[in-house]
Amino acid sequence: MGLVVRTAMRGMRLLGLLLVLGWVVFPVYLMVKISLSPPEAVLRPVPEIGLHRITLEHWRRLLSSGGLYPPLIKSLTVAGLTVLLSLLIGVPSAYAIARLPRNWSYRLSVAMFLSRMLPEVVIALPIAVIFIRLNLLDTVMGLVFAHTVKALPVACWLLIGVFRSIPRDLEEQASVDGATTWQILFRIVIPLSLGGIAVAGVFAYLLSWDEFTYAIYLCLAKPTLPLKVYYYVNRGDWFLTSAYAVVTTLPVIVLTYVLHLFLREDVFAGSLKE
Amino acid sequence: MGRVLRLNLLGVSAVLTAFLFLFGCSSRGPQRPVLRVVMGLTEEEWSVMKTEVFPKFEQRYACRISAYQVEANDWIRKLEAMERAGRVEVDVFAQDNMRLYPLVAKDLVEDVSQYADLIPDEVPKALRGVGIFNGKLYFFPYRPNVQITFYNAEKFAEYGLNPPRDWDELLSVAKVFKEREGIGKVGLKLWGGSPTATQIYEMVISAGGEPFSFTDEGWRRTFRFLKELYPYLSPDSKRAKWDTTNIYLANGSFYLAQNWPFAIGVLVKTYHKDYIKAYAGWRGPVRPAHVVGGEVLGLPKGGEHRELALKFVKFMLSREVQTILLRRLGWPPVRTDVYAEVEDWQRPYFEAVKTALKDGVFRPNVLFWGEFEKLVNSAVTRILVKGEDVDGVLQECGEKMQEVMREAQTNGDG
Amino acid sequence: METVDRLLKKNRFELVLLLPLFLYFLVFVALPFLYNLLLSFSPASGSLGLTAYREVFSDPRFGSAVVNTLVISAVSLALELFLGLGLAMWIFKARGRWARIWRLAFILPLGVPGIVSAANMRYIFDVHGYLNAILQRIGLLKGVVDWMGGGWPSLLAIAVADTWKVTPLVMLVLLAGLKSIPKELYDSARIDGADAWQEFFYITLPLLRRFITMAIIIRGIDAFRIFELPLALAGNNIPVLSTYAYFEYAQYDSPATSAVAGLVLGVMVLVFVLGYIKVMGEG
Repeated sequence: MGLVVRTAMRGMRLLGLLLVLGWVVFPVYLMVKISLSPPEAVLRPVPEIGLHRITLEHWRRLLSSGGLYPPLIKSLTVAGLTVLLSLLIGVPSAYAIARLPRNWSYRLSVAMFLSRMLPEVVIALPIAVIFIRLNLLDTVMGLVFAHTVKALPVACWLLIGVFRSIPRDLEEQASVDGATTWQILFRIVIPLSLGGIAVAGVFAYLLSWDEFTYAIYLCLAKPTLPLKVYYYVNRGDWFLTSAYAVVTTLPVIVLTYVLHLFLREDVFAGSLKE
Repeated sequence: MGRVLRLNLLGVSAVLTAFLFLFGCSSRGPQRPVLRVVMGLTEEEWSVMKTEVFPKFEQRYACRISAYQVEANDWIRKLEAMERAGRVEVDVFAQDNMRLYPLVAKDLVEDVSQYADLIPDEVPKALRGVGIFNGKLYFFPYRPNVQITFYNAEKFAEYGLNPPRDWDELLSVAKVFKEREGIGKVGLKLWGGSPTATQIYEMVISAGGEPFSFTDEGWRRTFRFLKELYPYLSPDSKRAKWDTTNIYLANGSFYLAQNWPFAIGVLVKTYHKDYIKAYAGWRGPVRPAHVVGGEVLGLPKGGEHRELALKFVKFMLSREVQTILLRRLGWPPVRTDVYAEVEDWQRPYFEAVKTALKDGVFRPNVLFWGEFEKLVNSAVTRILVKGEDVDGVLQECGEKMQEVMREAQTNGDG
Repeated sequence: METVDRLLKKNRFELVLLLPLFLYFLVFVALPFLYNLLLSFSPASGSLGLTAYREVFSDPRFGSAVVNTLVISAVSLALELFLGLGLAMWIFKARGRWARIWRLAFILPLGVPGIVSAANMRYIFDVHGYLNAILQRIGLLKGVVDWMGGGWPSLLAIAVADTWKVTPLVMLVLLAGLKSIPKELYDSARIDGADAWQEFFYITLPLLRRFITMAIIIRGIDAFRIFELPLALAGNNIPVLSTYAYFEYAQYDSPATSAVAGLVLGVMVLVFVLGYIKVMGEG
């Protein structure tokens, strides 16, 4: 009897889980499906749910319009430079914070966290107003600076954790052997934490690639990929929306899975644990 | 410690140099002159421009065209930014008819009066006025536009209905659809912004109202009618503007809706919905009225390649290009001699366009059109969505409009 | 002050390393914030004043933006915590290879950019979209529902759409929390004869408290600032504070009112965080 109830409970739970799984996968499936569906299958009072007919027409339109490459290149460049800038500022700062007395490093982490409380629109508006004056709208550099505002705190938190995990003994030993603090940082600490630095870099990359709010304030004529998706949402073209959505999503999904295959959730939470 | 600081600074400046290097090089092309063009188009339109229109020009004048997509509102801001920085990186642009005055008022466009003869004789007089401010020509008309009314012929036949010819018939058609289908099937463009303002403006004029009054009989009549009609409209009306309307016509959310003629190609060619037909549309209680919209070409102050830009204008106004735009995109031509070039399947739709243009009305080009839009939108939200009292809300909007116009007056004088 | 002095003396090396970070935040966070404050007093009109504040606070759209923001945040936060905790506990119990597989399946939305998930949700919540199609197919619905027509269904739909994107993050934070609970506690509880519910309420929940707080604060901040989802799903129809601020600037060309709306949003976030910390009594 107890066994029956338990099996039934287990079955129910599994069913619920499968429902959740369906809910998680369905939007992504839809995106791919619509980019491959003929208009007749989608634009009807009750759209088809299955993928019965396939057309490459929308992908042909996407590739032939010449609208793909400039945003793609811009997104890649901005994300790449954001990683560079975030690490350039983040690595030394995080190392410093990790070495400060506990109470100070705690205060600084909290301060950085508080910067997140400022809504993006509060930061984006003045930057946009100033950039208009300086004609910096649409430049890659302008967007990189804005994206770094978002990426820097995250990179720092991750890196603080990474640097803390390096045994202090190693550094003290090196110091006894006559190495300067500078040498310790570059010869010991950074080589030991290359993996962690890479993770921080990937996070910065993802944040910049996905970023929408700053981008919509700071780009007018030269959009990034997320803006291109929004352009089609606005234009009411479901098919090119989905095709661009697939292009925008693919690299992020791959990177996210690569990260998660190698990392445990502690890394995500750990950076926030302080 | 000092060394650390120095190295830090060194690193930062190295990155900055790298940045500058990247941007400095990015816009330099090969030897051929590059004509930089700004337009706000849909993807279909871009693809025709880039594959069938621009290449001809590039070949003929041994140049390269680099084109940018900018929405009409953003363009004013962008051009202002470039002028202020003294680096105008655009040579010629297309702009929405209703967004011209700010460009003139802020002194951002070139006076092209001396090139007026670039406009061919085949362009009707009425279309030229839109580019003239204070007696000077600032913009070349190149794309007139008027909304026609699309209807789902299958559904109209199924319910034994005819496309409505006036407001009463519009209301009764809307009621029939709602009764038979349980959901409204008539679409109005109530998304907000410019499409809604245009929609309301057209109705007000056809009800005998004055453009910015808000309080005269025409305005009150329009909103009383809309309030009566609103419950029978398709719920997607709230999201309808010129582009989403195509989706709603195609997926059966709208059986009847106005839209610009570019929709002909999208509905019939891209979405294969050939049962959607068109006619000129319904008249108002006082007169028939169809807002003439569209786009013009202008040259920004401080742009390079003046000669080439003017050649481009001439090229875009040529019979050849206008024919391509008509046949491939369903754009009504700016030249009367091109109408004959419509393809057979387009013919019935363009009869509708011609009929609508006969009752064409222009919107006055004013500095405060943006404010006007905002007030119209708030009136729509308050009266239709929230169900507030028609006269009260209009009174309030009218007062605000007066204030805005007074301000514009004093600013214009000073 | 004495501690600051000591810090300056003992940790000069660290402070120098921190300089770029400090400068960056000064230039790209603190200064914009101050400039935003200045903008809110409408300097463009020639003199500083409260016109923009008056205009915003008398705008009925602003009122609904505030309400919409609060409702969407509250609903999505509750959904995310509930679902996230459920999923985290399932994965935690599953263990081994299955835990890994479930985890990888459920984090799929993490890899989908915000604007893309908004676009996908549009397909689902459209009048002739896929949610109505599914409901009709399984016979739950005869006609159609206008999910984005305004009112409660729309707010709920936006909250659900947000939940889709964000639950994995909450799940991961709580999963880390579950893993931090010493296993011996459960063992001894079982010896004392506690059932699954008692274990949950007397061990799991109290020990997860720190992690739940963290999840609520992190997620709460983001929920208040929600932007691309309502922008793409409902545009101007269902304003939240961020989109209100955006439209004021981009569509109506009015930086002053946009700045005011942004500041109100900032204050709301601040009140939420401080209020939560105060109520929960955690530093």
